[in-house]
Amino acid sequence: MGIEIRNINKKFGNFVALSDISIAIPKGEITALLGPSGCGKTTLLRIIAGLETPDSGVIKFSGEDQTNKRVKDRKVGFVFQHYALFRHMNVFENIAFGLRVRPRKIRPDRKAIHESVMRLVALVQLEGYVNRFPSELSGGQRQRVALARALAVEPSVLLLDEPFGALDAKVRKELRRWLRRLHDEIHVTSVFVTHDQDEALEVSDTIVIVNKGKIEQAGSPEAVCDFPANPFVADFLSDINRPIVTRKKKTLAGVINDDRQGI
Amino acid sequence: MIKTGIVREPRRVKALLLFTAGVFLSVFIILPMVTIFREALKAGVAGYLKSFVDPGVAFSIRLSLLTVLICVPVNTFFGVVLAWLVTKYEFPGKKLLITVVEVPFSVSPVIAGLLFIFLFGSFGWFGTWLTDHNIKIVFAVPGIVLATLFVSFPFVARELTPLMRELGKDDEEAALTLGASGLQIFWKVTLPNIKWGLLYGIILTNARAMGEFGAVSVVSGLVRGVTTTMPLYIDILYGEYMFKSAFAVASLLTFLAVVTIIVKAVLEYAIAVQRKSGEVQI
Repeated sequence: MGIEIRNINKKFGNFVALSDISIAIPKGEITALLGPSGCGKTTLLRIIAGLETPDSGVIKFSGEDQTNKRVKDRKVGFVFQHYALFRHMNVFENIAFGLRVRPRKIRPDRKAIHESVMRLVALVQLEGYVNRFPSELSGGQRQRVALARALAVEPSVLLLDEPFGALDAKVRKELRRWLRRLHDEIHVTSVFVTHDQDEALEVSDTIVIVNKGKIEQAGSPEAVCDFPANPFVADFLSDINRPIVTRKKKTLAGVINDDRQGI
Repeated sequence: MIKTGIVREPRRVKALLLFTAGVFLSVFIILPMVTIFREALKAGVAGYLKSFVDPGVAFSIRLSLLTVLICVPVNTFFGVVLAWLVTKYEFPGKKLLITVVEVPFSVSPVIAGLLFIFLFGSFGWFGTWLTDHNIKIVFAVPGIVLATLFVSFPFVARELTPLMRELGKDDEEAALTLGASGLQIFWKVTLPNIKWGLLYGIILTNARAMGEFGAVSVVSGLVRGVTTTMPLYIDILYGEYMFKSAFAVASLLTFLAVVTIIVKAVLEYAIAVQRKSGEVQI
């Protein structure tokens, strides 16, 4: 078992962000938390990481209870939508950060740190960029640095919050394919949050569809597409199957529709 | 700088505005500053330097330095703590706290001084207790330090709060997931991000602490050689027609102020550059 989430509840004031969420996230796979914005998926991810505390419920990694563990002891890798790279450190320093802040007893020596960083740099294909600062990198490159930095601490779980959200459409597509291939190499249990149906279908092994703080359906991409459990899932996933509907919506929203191929 | 012809005022208007600004600055800033240095140096460089040998002058410089050396670190520390609190955490009364921090700016310095008299003076709330324990605050150095702490408190917090709010929590959370401890996060992530804004706040705190007159004057009691800071001593000297010494001390204070302004300008430039690179990143 990878991650076990049991009866998680979370309220912000009167707003119910998550209501009695229970799900098992398979080991070594990529799982997508998919849902419209404000549905609670990011809150759930942050609770798994320990960045938010649930009001009640239990989080386990490989059967081990994490609920009362602090973030720094959970060994999670977290990738933020806006990268959150340390802007005063170059690529090398950013990736090395997680190793350098370890207590002296378990901190690798200079040579070992150098080796692991260079291995990760090669993994995310940023050789030749180690001395660059975040401001000198493109969005896609920054997100790959963020990923390498998260992987440097050899996390038991990799969590990605809208990892492609801040990128333009072309880079987004390239990067998600690349992430899929990368995962096929490293097999770390991964959870990523997205509101983009295509992204979820293309990248993940399992999709968990979340709406209004509840799980609507969980299953393989084929299963949720072919056998939607309820009208919400059917409707939410319908956009990808019905491109014409999307196009009409855009026209209504005020986008000038000047190409005729669609209709 | 407007280089395009969007604003097409006649040249005369520009010339007039330039002239007005020039006259204003000359009369109210440049002329007084020149006067200070001219008066101070009237008796020649040797006479100027001799002024500082006077025990009263030397004492006032030492006391001002002592006050600055206490107030700047203390207010820097509390300013950072406060900015950290209001930008990284949610709690009831947060808005009130942000407003209360500004009180030292809106209250007249004289009132600030009186406040400490009411609290710690012989007839104040803690007066009897303090007298019983033989602790002197008002009309003594602790009073000077307290009054200066009060009036120079908001600068660091005010400078850092908007900056830290803009920076958000992502960097700190990233460091947290990477296993960094609270102190490591502060030294390695937060501090490098806020260093220019922090320095700017420190410079302003320093300027205010050095130059404060009103609040300090009230709690000082003007005990010569005990509670006379530089601004207070300038006033005393001038009142006693010792113009040469008064202007000598004034020139030193002015010189420090000019240095402060230059440092401030450099920091403003550095902050602008940092903001720019931040924009590119987000």
